[in-house]
Amino acid sequence: MVTSSQNRPGTPSPAGSTNEGPEPRGPRNTTGRSVSLFLDRSFQQRAGIWIRKRGVGPYLLLLPATAVIAALILWPAVQVGLFSFQNYGLMQISGVLPTQWVGWANYSQILHDHEFWVSLKISVYFAVVVVPLTLIVGTLVGLLLERLGPKMRMFVSVSAILAWATPAVTASVVFANLVGTDGGVVDWALAKLPSWLGGGAHWAGYSWTNAALPAYTVLTVMLVWTGFPFIAVTVLAALRTLPSELHEAARVDGAGPWRDFWKVTFPLLRPVFLVLALLSTIWDFGMFTQAYIINGQLGNPDQYNLGLYEYAQAFTQPPHYGVASAAAFVLTIILLIVTVGYVRAAIKQGALA
Amino acid sequence: MGLRKRSAVIGAAAGVAAAALAIAGCSSSSSSTSSSAATGGATGNAATSGASSSASGPASLTVWRMGGSVPSQVTWMNSVVAEFHKEFPQYANTQVNVKWIPWGNRTQDWNNALSSGKNIPDITELGNTDTPAEAATGILAPLNSNLSSWSGTKGLVPGMLANDTQSGTTYAVPWFGGVRAVWYRTDQFKKAGITAAPTTWAELQADAVKLQNAYPGTAGFDAITNDTNAFASFIWGAGGQIATQDSSGKWTGNLTDPKTEAAIKYYVGLYTTAKVSPSKYIGQTELGNAGATSGGPNEDFGLGKLDMYIDGPWAKATLPKNSVDTANISSFPIPSQNGPNPAPVFAGGSDLAVFKTSPNQQAAWDLITVMDNPANSTSFAALSGFFSPYSAEITASENTGGPFMAGFAKAALNGQTAPLNAKNWATADNGKLNIIPTMLKQLMQGAPFDSTVAAANTQLANVLNTGSAS
Repeated sequence: MVTSSQNRPGTPSPAGSTNEGPEPRGPRNTTGRSVSLFLDRSFQQRAGIWIRKRGVGPYLLLLPATAVIAALILWPAVQVGLFSFQNYGLMQISGVLPTQWVGWANYSQILHDHEFWVSLKISVYFAVVVVPLTLIVGTLVGLLLERLGPKMRMFVSVSAILAWATPAVTASVVFANLVGTDGGVVDWALAKLPSWLGGGAHWAGYSWTNAALPAYTVLTVMLVWTGFPFIAVTVLAALRTLPSELHEAARVDGAGPWRDFWKVTFPLLRPVFLVLALLSTIWDFGMFTQAYIINGQLGNPDQYNLGLYEYAQAFTQPPHYGVASAAAFVLTIILLIVTVGYVRAAIKQGALA
Repeated sequence: MGLRKRSAVIGAAAGVAAAALAIAGCSSSSSSTSSSAATGGATGNAATSGASSSASGPASLTVWRMGGSVPSQVTWMNSVVAEFHKEFPQYANTQVNVKWIPWGNRTQDWNNALSSGKNIPDITELGNTDTPAEAATGILAPLNSNLSSWSGTKGLVPGMLANDTQSGTTYAVPWFGGVRAVWYRTDQFKKAGITAAPTTWAELQADAVKLQNAYPGTAGFDAITNDTNAFASFIWGAGGQIATQDSSGKWTGNLTDPKTEAAIKYYVGLYTTAKVSPSKYIGQTELGNAGATSGGPNEDFGLGKLDMYIDGPWAKATLPKNSVDTANISSFPIPSQNGPNPAPVFAGGSDLAVFKTSPNQQAAWDLITVMDNPANSTSFAALSGFFSPYSAEITASENTGGPFMAGFAKAALNGQTAPLNAKNWATADNGKLNIIPTMLKQLMQGAPFDSTVAAANTQLANVLNTGSAS
């Protein structure tokens, strides 16, 4: 802000040229530097000095991003929080009836709702299966990438990134067609398989989407497929920061690849894995788009995860935006608890390292 | 053909509600039909209000139609608009835009229009079962004063109008009625050695097996779970009820009644023990996945993969273009448990209503009077296999439907609507809970019978009484 070269300290301007601006001249300072600045600089530059002296620079730099986040995330979140304590439906949103404050009624309705517990169970089971699977597959591919030659590494990375870059809707529609009952290639292939491999005619026309277990199996495969490249690339980047001496030393001491990974690589990359696990949990636990498409839009409540449950509360007739907001808050609180757990673990790791 | 039959028909249609509801969307295409103020086959008609006073009409009126654009209906609408312009000169420059709303999106689109105040329709079609809930929600304008001065009012089937009336205020006018029946192909029946349409459950199941044997690789019947409007006929056909309301207005669930349970057992058994319905129909409507606008049994029947299925005559419009055989398609009424009379059938249909926040209330009503006058509503109904909302027109068209329509006409003699037009039925039977579809699905997938049905019954009574399951 105040570093333009022609105004370096020690090159004071003639006194006669310093009468711009309404500000009174400051008392002469012993350094001479700020005096010349105050005498010669424009308002912007003087403001810059003030900012630096007070140490508010970093906060000012954060301001634009904070404002955007506040407008796009915090304010809607506050609104959702308010709705969750209101009887908020069509009549309220269109202004026909005033909003009513209902206290904890929306929350108690959810907690007494059988469908909520079904959907919570599905979300938890799903995250518990998908997050470790994604991490394992991603890490294995990351390790593979590190060992590949440059050309092959490029080829594998690009292939993986394409899976990651596939939009959720596109991937879901593709998978829905793969497992379709009429002409889906999965059913066709399973029906052709010999019976000792688990195949057989009973697979022809098998519906993967009309019960929770098969539907979420398809979703598991799809989310691992779209989720592992990010893990793989992140792990690869982290692996390349590790000094090779450590691996050499381990090998000299007789460690095979398995022990090398668990005794050297994994402890050093633990913070990275923690972040990846946290992000994967948030993504998979709150999944909506893919489940909505694979389940054939909403389908029946016995196949809802939390995302679909919330959507059903808000957007099926008659809409209960208040109840849906409460459900959204419950989901947020669950994720916050998970996040706090991860962050604590990460801090502990940092303290131990 | 005396008074008795006539009143039966009227009574049947009187129960009218939304067949439309479960058509569940035809295609998601939306198109606009604008019409010039010119030609058209318009002859002034008795059923007009003539009450319009404003010298210059609105620049445009928007009509929301449900389903996918059908060419014959577009032509029909063009001629109605021409008639509208001729009959109401003050609207000569008013352009009428038709927007097609997929059935599955209708409540969402109404809600969006109401809450945002943007892209609102002036007139909306709605399924008859939608009307009580939407009137309670507050999206429909009261029509009492318009109806009292409209010449068409007195000819409408009273029961259909009663369905659109709450506490003395009428929110919509009936536009057409329709019923479901079982579709089949006469050539397939012949080859399978079936000489007469089944009139009992046992015959229906046996015929499905015969058809599957005669046509290997096909399914005999569609025991879909997510079409309560069709499944209701099995409950009623066993003498059971879904839910009943006492004189104080309190609902009681009847799913655990022995007669209703017999229907549930039979229907679930079509999949689990008789094996005449494939597993993929679990969780489906007659058009496939819950939100889909094509596919499912409707498509399979057209492609020859399914031998019999339940749908209304309107579904001819959604049969796939490459259907194997449309010449031999025929229909018979849904059988009752022990015959010989058919099961009562859900009496469906659509209404027309003025959207509450439309700035063009009078013009919208005036257009409705043309769309829904006896001549136009009857010609519209004839296009798609529906019934007119006018008593006299139903009687007149009783015998003019041809063999395909015969089954539907027979079915229409025995219509029922409750509780599918209850105020909270939408909550019970859509995405939030889907109580009966989910119950059927879980039973077909092996859930214990007694506890599953009992849980659904409790849920159903709670929702019908309070609007919430818990």
